[in-house]
Amino acid sequence: MIGESIRPLDWAEKTAGTARYAADEPPAGTLVARVLRSPLPHADIKRLDVSAALRVPGVHAVVTAADFPEGRVYEHSGGPYSDRPPMAVDRVLYVGHEVAAVAAETAEAADEAIRAIRVRYRRRKAVLTVPDALAPGAPQLHQRADGANVAVATAEHWGDVDLAQANAAFQAGGTFRYPRVNHACMEPNTTIAWWHDERLEMWTSSQAPHFVVHELANLFGLELDQVVCRDVAVGGGFGSKSKISEHEALAAALSMKCGRPVLLELSRAEEFAFTKPRHAFTTQLAAHADTEGRLCFLDAVIDVDNGAYNHYGPSVMRAGIKQLGSMYRPDAVRWDARLVDTNLVPGGQFRGYGQPQTAIGLETLMDELAEQCGQDPIDFRISNSGLPDTTQLSGSQVGSNRLRECLAEVRDRIGWDAKRGPERRPYRGVGVSSGMHASGSYAYPGGNTSAAGIEVRTTGEVVVRFGGADAGTGQRTILGQIAADVLGVPMDRVGVIMADWDETPPDMGAWSSRGTHMGGHAVRQSAEAMAARLCELGAEKLGTDDVTLRDGCVVSGADRIPIENLVDGALRIDTEYVEPKMQPYWTGIERPNISATYAYAAHAVEVEVDPGTGVISVLGYAAVHDIGKAINPALVEGQIIGGAVQGLGAALGEKLHYEGGRLVNAGYVHYPLPRATTVPSIDVGLVEGPEPAGPFNAKSVGEIALIPAAPALLNAVYDATGIRFRELPLTPDVVLAALRERDGVTPRRHHLARRPGRWQIGLFRALYPYGIHLLLDRWGTRFARRPAPRPVERVALPATVAEAVAELATPDATVIGGGTDVLVQRDQELLFPTVLVGTGAIASMRGIEEKPGGDWRIGAAVTLAELATWASERVPMVASAIATIASAQIREVATVAGNLGQEKRCWFFRNGFDCYKRGGVTCPCYAVDGDHRLHHAAIGGHRCQAVTPSDLATVFDALGAEVVLTGPSGSRSVSITSLYAGPGELDLRTGELVEAIVLPASALAARGVFVKLQQWDGDFALVSLAASVTVGDDGRWTGARYVFGGLAPKPWQPPRLTRALAGAVPTADAVAGVLDQDLSWEAHPLPGNRWKLDAAIGLARQATEQLLLGRTRDEESDD
Amino acid sequence: MPDRPSSGRNAAGAPLEGRAVGGRPRVQAEHLRVDGDVVPAGAPGASLLEVLRGAGIFAAKQACGRGECGACTVLVGDRAVMSCTMPAAVVTDEVTTAAGLGDDAADLRAAFADHAAFQCGFCTPGQVVRAAAVLRESVDRSRDEIAREMSGNICRCTGYRQIVDAVCAVAESRQAAR
Ligand code: FES
Ligand code: FES
Repeated sequence: MIGESIRPLDWAEKTAGTARYAADEPPAGTLVARVLRSPLPHADIKRLDVSAALRVPGVHAVVTAADFPEGRVYEHSGGPYSDRPPMAVDRVLYVGHEVAAVAAETAEAADEAIRAIRVRYRRRKAVLTVPDALAPGAPQLHQRADGANVAVATAEHWGDVDLAQANAAFQAGGTFRYPRVNHACMEPNTTIAWWHDERLEMWTSSQAPHFVVHELANLFGLELDQVVCRDVAVGGGFGSKSKISEHEALAAALSMKCGRPVLLELSRAEEFAFTKPRHAFTTQLAAHADTEGRLCFLDAVIDVDNGAYNHYGPSVMRAGIKQLGSMYRPDAVRWDARLVDTNLVPGGQFRGYGQPQTAIGLETLMDELAEQCGQDPIDFRISNSGLPDTTQLSGSQVGSNRLRECLAEVRDRIGWDAKRGPERRPYRGVGVSSGMHASGSYAYPGGNTSAAGIEVRTTGEVVVRFGGADAGTGQRTILGQIAADVLGVPMDRVGVIMADWDETPPDMGAWSSRGTHMGGHAVRQSAEAMAARLCELGAEKLGTDDVTLRDGCVVSGADRIPIENLVDGALRIDTEYVEPKMQPYWTGIERPNISATYAYAAHAVEVEVDPGTGVISVLGYAAVHDIGKAINPALVEGQIIGGAVQGLGAALGEKLHYEGGRLVNAGYVHYPLPRATTVPSIDVGLVEGPEPAGPFNAKSVGEIALIPAAPALLNAVYDATGIRFRELPLTPDVVLAALRERDGVTPRRHHLARRPGRWQIGLFRALYPYGIHLLLDRWGTRFARRPAPRPVERVALPATVAEAVAELATPDATVIGGGTDVLVQRDQELLFPTVLVGTGAIASMRGIEEKPGGDWRIGAAVTLAELATWASERVPMVASAIATIASAQIREVATVAGNLGQEKRCWFFRNGFDCYKRGGVTCPCYAVDGDHRLHHAAIGGHRCQAVTPSDLATVFDALGAEVVLTGPSGSRSVSITSLYAGPGELDLRTGELVEAIVLPASALAARGVFVKLQQWDGDFALVSLAASVTVGDDGRWTGARYVFGGLAPKPWQPPRLTRALAGAVPTADAVAGVLDQDLSWEAHPLPGNRWKLDAAIGLARQATEQLLLGRTRDEESDD
Repeated sequence: MPDRPSSGRNAAGAPLEGRAVGGRPRVQAEHLRVDGDVVPAGAPGASLLEVLRGAGIFAAKQACGRGECGACTVLVGDRAVMSCTMPAAVVTDEVTTAAGLGDDAADLRAAFADHAAFQCGFCTPGQVVRAAAVLRESVDRSRDEIAREMSGNICRCTGYRQIVDAVCAVAESRQAAR
């Protein structure tokens, strides 16, 4: 059983969707909760009046800080570190800080109640970055012993620093930045709390009910047995749910106030913005090696952005430091580290726990030292690897350590030697990184302890009882396998009850990669006790001591007794496991050995960098892990692959962007998570061998796999480009700008002095940082228009265009195609139509037909999937563009008109900022001073910097399509460019709708290509290009149209290029040259999006080459 | 000859000659058919997902509510769609969730189990429904195509390899069984 990839115990429910997550099957009468959060990063609450909320029909409870016992704070890290009250008391410390919460019969009533709460804030100066927080005179968030806004400062060393420095012959160093990233668990944080019979019953999405129970009991002054969590499926944790997640107490308080069950489910936007992300680290690291190429000294200055409260920041920082003394064998490590308070949402626990943040520095510098020493990076790591059965500088008493085997195997799996050899392709590279992690840690009292119960029932079932929760790690299955193995019963007779403390002995839960080690030992121990008891009972009955357990029976020779016949009622044995090898942090041991075993890994990655666009493609990835023993290899592989991919996500794109303390990218569409097509098929190797301290030799795997991914990628990108990047993530803008700098390209000049048309905008932009932004943001937004939420009253499904036009005469009627943007805009509070006019039943809008003369008329309600099918042979460019839009599911229902008419995707506009377009003329465009690298215009931006998101607009413009608009006074035809009044804004007259698109016959005869720079398949274009041309027999181009998306507010055609291409026989270089002039004279980029112009040239080269290749192919087939 | 698209695509991606659509104003139905049951249609403007979960059908999950992740994927007729952004009012065909796929998806679910193609399981019903639609459309697909077809379904746990492994394995076994 141990070592077999048996199916997860919960497979049937999980694959059918019948597993019960916290929000599923709520008890009858469950109320819906909503939270009022601070809109400001730092302010005093001058007045908080909830009386109007209580009067909203359907509202049952409202809570504020006043509803909690005075002075009560979360325990969190404990002692002097405990600093967070359950809700904001008189002052808010970050955007999102919980000010009030309501519970009501319906979500609508709860929303209305939230809007009815009156709060008056007095703004305080906020510190939003670590340097701001440390500046003299900065406002202080808390009283801290270690200095102003310094939650913890530690400056210490391990080993003999003088000796280590004396040995140093080679030195490498740099400043490394790891940003805030979000766990993005698929299940948002969800809790149902129900106070009844003097008890708090909780269905909550947690990895560790232990902490939920203890924290709630502490906050509300309850006995521990007055709080109980139930066993629910948990939709991902990755550390975020390994302690309390701070929304549970709100649901509990509401329920305690009204006695009804209360469901609090965070929205995805809340999940991104207000759950605790990975702590951002800035690590200045220097690494030294001696003449032999032995790492001898590491010297670090680390600043950790704590956010507004401590939580587990102190131990996250400690873990990040500890890794410097654990991975290799330096003679000394010295650090000077600070955990710094800022007015941002507090940081939290995230898989890897501080170590990914310092690993990017350590592993980059290992490569740099290897290069200086003239050694291969893998060899260098092998010779510096820690050794088995040693105590490391950090105090870790390591038993097994097979890092060297891992490194050797990863070399083969990735094909290291060939890929770094003389045959290598340009812009391809491979990189490697090591990683390590403990298996559990004695970070808190009780951390060395676990417990499990085993029960044998008269049905023959074996039930494992365990107090931790399985958020997707497979622990449920692993524990079942261990019990089945020890007791010799088949797996289908084993059940595992987890996380329900009425049913299970206590365990601290799943964190610090302790699940298999601590839980595994506890279950093993209880199962062994049970086995001994069953054997005893069996021996008595069989009359011999020579018995074993097999196939659910006690067996002696040919005699056997089923175990169910040995139990009377049910037999249950609970035992507590105390790990003897662990040492605690707090008892004065200078360098405690906090864990019993240590796992190691080596990852290698191959990348290709596109020098034209800066896009990094991950071509191959191998991960080899020193696992001790894989109890369930398929599950172990899953942990490794999943962890590596999360690490790649952080390396390539994930980052939480803030503007004025507020999250900008609070949605999947603006947060580039890895997708099935953006990551390669990860190849996993498992190195097994004895580890006496582990259960069945097993070591941990949950967290370690994330750690080496980003450093391996950084090293691979260096190998491909010769550029050392020291900050994550490596988005295309960063890479392309660095490539240009490497090549010594002088920045493009835009001749603004000679372009009077841009003077006004130029001046406005220049003044933004000098008061305009502040003025508009502080004062202008007070006049922002905010549409009042209204329900949809009616959905009309007319059968003819005329009927549809008549419906549109109703004020606040909106056309919907697939509805894929209108419902989203409702959710984003941009639009509250009262009548939705569906076009799906209008036959004339649902067809594609040829008109006399060879033009084609495409009905506006044709779906993208349908259009792609029609176009695949006739106008392949259209089909290939559609393949890059959203997802297959969206393409099934999204319509042509819906795609053309979708609103801009600017992340400020979409994510609730009162910007110029959302709020009106008195409001700022947040992109001018904010993060505008990816989604904003580099050409022709005015007060709004957004772009038209529709790819079809770009393609149709290149094809010279016309759009048929029909309204009360008949139909008219317009070009794509005149279809738009602004970015993603159709220039429609009252009552008009888009009825059809007409593709000219010439479009079908032309050769076309669509290329798009996007962060994943389905992303909106950062830059795109649709090019269409008719090629004559002599190779001359006529009617060439190059149209760019993502560059300008509307699809943009470079004028000089269009002229130059007429009648020409172009080359990619020639196109790039003319386009460069166009970009010089037409563009007016923002400081952060100049790179888009270079990317546009990269795309133009690609497209031109493909168009020319098309010619060659045609000619060949003509022969 | 006029070319009218139908609501499905054929396997080869060839142009479709299909039925005409529409003609009569449709009235919003009072009920939806879901997994063989009938459920009330809900408020005008409600999304299909709201209607499903409101009716106690929890096999479709909400992870974003904005059509961006695939957790809410269900079949409407034979098309896999995001139920969170689909107005329930425009749904006329039978709706199928992961729980209603029945025997058709038994091999697929088993493959997800055997390949450890899920961890937390929250994305899984959506993945299974999407995979079912992909394989119904065609089993003659390369690994890359399958990954592309599945790429609208985010999974934060698995890193995707085992999901794609599972779907490929079913495609192969169904090919072999043909
Ligand atoms: S919940 Fe529907 S796509 Fe995310
Ligand atoms: S299994 Fe957890 S999100 Fe896919």
